[in-house]
Amino acid sequence: MATITPRERVKAFFKREPIDEMPCFSGMGAVTVQAIEKMGIRFAQVHGSAEYLAGSAIATAEMFGFDGVVVPYDMCTVPEALGRGASLYEDADGILYPTVPSKWATIDDVDMPEDVSVVFGQGRMPVVDEAIRIVKAHEGSKLALGGWVLGPFTMAGQLIELDVLLKGLRKDKERVEAFLSKMTDLVIAVAQHYQELGVDYMNIREMGSGTDLISPRMWKTLIKPNLEKVFSALESPKINHICGSTDLIIEMMNDCGADAVSVDQKNNVIESRKKLGNDAMILGNFDPYGTLTQIDASEVGGVIKKCIDDGVDAVWPGCDLWPDVKGENMEAYIQAVREYGKTATPAVGRV
Amino acid sequence: MGKEELRKELLKQLHEGVVEFEEDQVKEAAQKILDEGLNVYDAVMNGLAAGMQEVGDLYDQQEYFVPELLMAADALYVGLDILKPYIKLEDLGDKPKGQVVIGTVQGDVHDIGKNIIKMMFEVAGFTVHDLGRDVPLEDFVKEQLRTDSEIVALSAMMTTTMMGMEKVIKMIKEKNPNVAIMLGGAPVTTDTADLFGADGYAESAGNAVQEAIKMIGRLREMQAK
Repeated sequence: MATITPRERVKAFFKREPIDEMPCFSGMGAVTVQAIEKMGIRFAQVHGSAEYLAGSAIATAEMFGFDGVVVPYDMCTVPEALGRGASLYEDADGILYPTVPSKWATIDDVDMPEDVSVVFGQGRMPVVDEAIRIVKAHEGSKLALGGWVLGPFTMAGQLIELDVLLKGLRKDKERVEAFLSKMTDLVIAVAQHYQELGVDYMNIREMGSGTDLISPRMWKTLIKPNLEKVFSALESPKINHICGSTDLIIEMMNDCGADAVSVDQKNNVIESRKKLGNDAMILGNFDPYGTLTQIDASEVGGVIKKCIDDGVDAVWPGCDLWPDVKGENMEAYIQAVREYGKTATPAVGRV
Repeated sequence: MGKEELRKELLKQLHEGVVEFEEDQVKEAAQKILDEGLNVYDAVMNGLAAGMQEVGDLYDQQEYFVPELLMAADALYVGLDILKPYIKLEDLGDKPKGQVVIGTVQGDVHDIGKNIIKMMFEVAGFTVHDLGRDVPLEDFVKEQLRTDSEIVALSAMMTTTMMGMEKVIKMIKEKNPNVAIMLGGAPVTTDTADLFGADGYAESAGNAVQEAIKMIGRLREMQAK
């Protein structure tokens, strides 16, 4: 029987063609300490080197049997390229994700370049580009390559103080809307750039916009129009990911023009499937931290099976994998996707 | 208008001003509390803090979201800035007060939840030593020793910075086992292992804020005893 490569499986999945089994992949960072240790490096070193970035992503995929890899891992590359800096915590013990140390304090301080494409030459943006090239060149490009960019609102929250942004949604609506519009253009430029470099799918992570933070009404008027603009500017496959509370906005998420929605463990996928119907592609929705670092490996299969039984088309973690996973939990996760993912899902058939 | 009637009216204005984010209304009512020589602590707890408690309820009912909480907090601060200098020590009596060291742990730059918890402590008459955000772990220990604070409040929006909190707890408990440690709103005084088994950390900004607001309710209950 002819076998398909992991990359072909992921590409067929997004085209909704019948596939042999559910692909096991993610749209968020999926790097593990096991891979990093094997390379003899530390997590803090990974973010600044194309070889380490691509190498650790590939090593994780190959070690555990993922169908794809995702780069980069941190959410500071674009803010850093816009001059906001990045704290990499090279001296800290253990694992800390990079953060943005100097956000613009107010909307008045925002200083965006006229031509946003200048960001591609700044900070670690060239490192990410090179990492993409390395992954694509690896062993005849057998692995699928996912790219991601923060959504306009979440990107805004990485560039200006979050409380200024959140209060501004009500107190300073016009200027915040204008800022979000600029963010939309920025997100489109970066996502198109990664698509031009050849990523196989593009995940837009509007993770700061769940209804833990803002109302569904605000989501409809301030988040949705910008996401619609982003998705209309991008090639397929493209995914709309939001973590946190999404039950109240899942239908609007699905109407933004993406090929799939991705949600985390807070979403009630059974209900979402009922609301969206079987044509919608839903990705999700296990808690990566709890499932892969906290519980016993024997319990992992049940978590994964529940995602599939609830109605996802592919099991995606709700967020980045926390790198310090238990190896046996990772193995149980991938094994469970393979085992329970053999039959058709609502939106994707099987050969 | 009698004194009690006036008191009730002004408390209502403070309460409503916080709930409706009417900073001018809060400012005016707070000034009138001072002008009329009414009990300032009563105005803070039963006007401003009571308003914030209702804001918390509205958040639970999904009528309010984080932008509304932040605007209500701004209105509360307008009142607190006016009233706080006039709170008399005897008003606090033997009710909980003291010093607290607060901050978000290294690796976490989200401080909305922390700022609301900080506000709650200030409302209750605590002296707050705010270390800010993205705070190196050792700094919590140093500041606790420097100030001899009874409470260290650690905030983290992200699950992933929780490991840092565990280290801080260990470091502080080694130096001073009697320090109470709060994580995102859950007060802990005994076994740190229990702490990590419990829901003592916030999984999202929303949760951190929600927990912080709930603490206001708990504190008001304590004050009423």
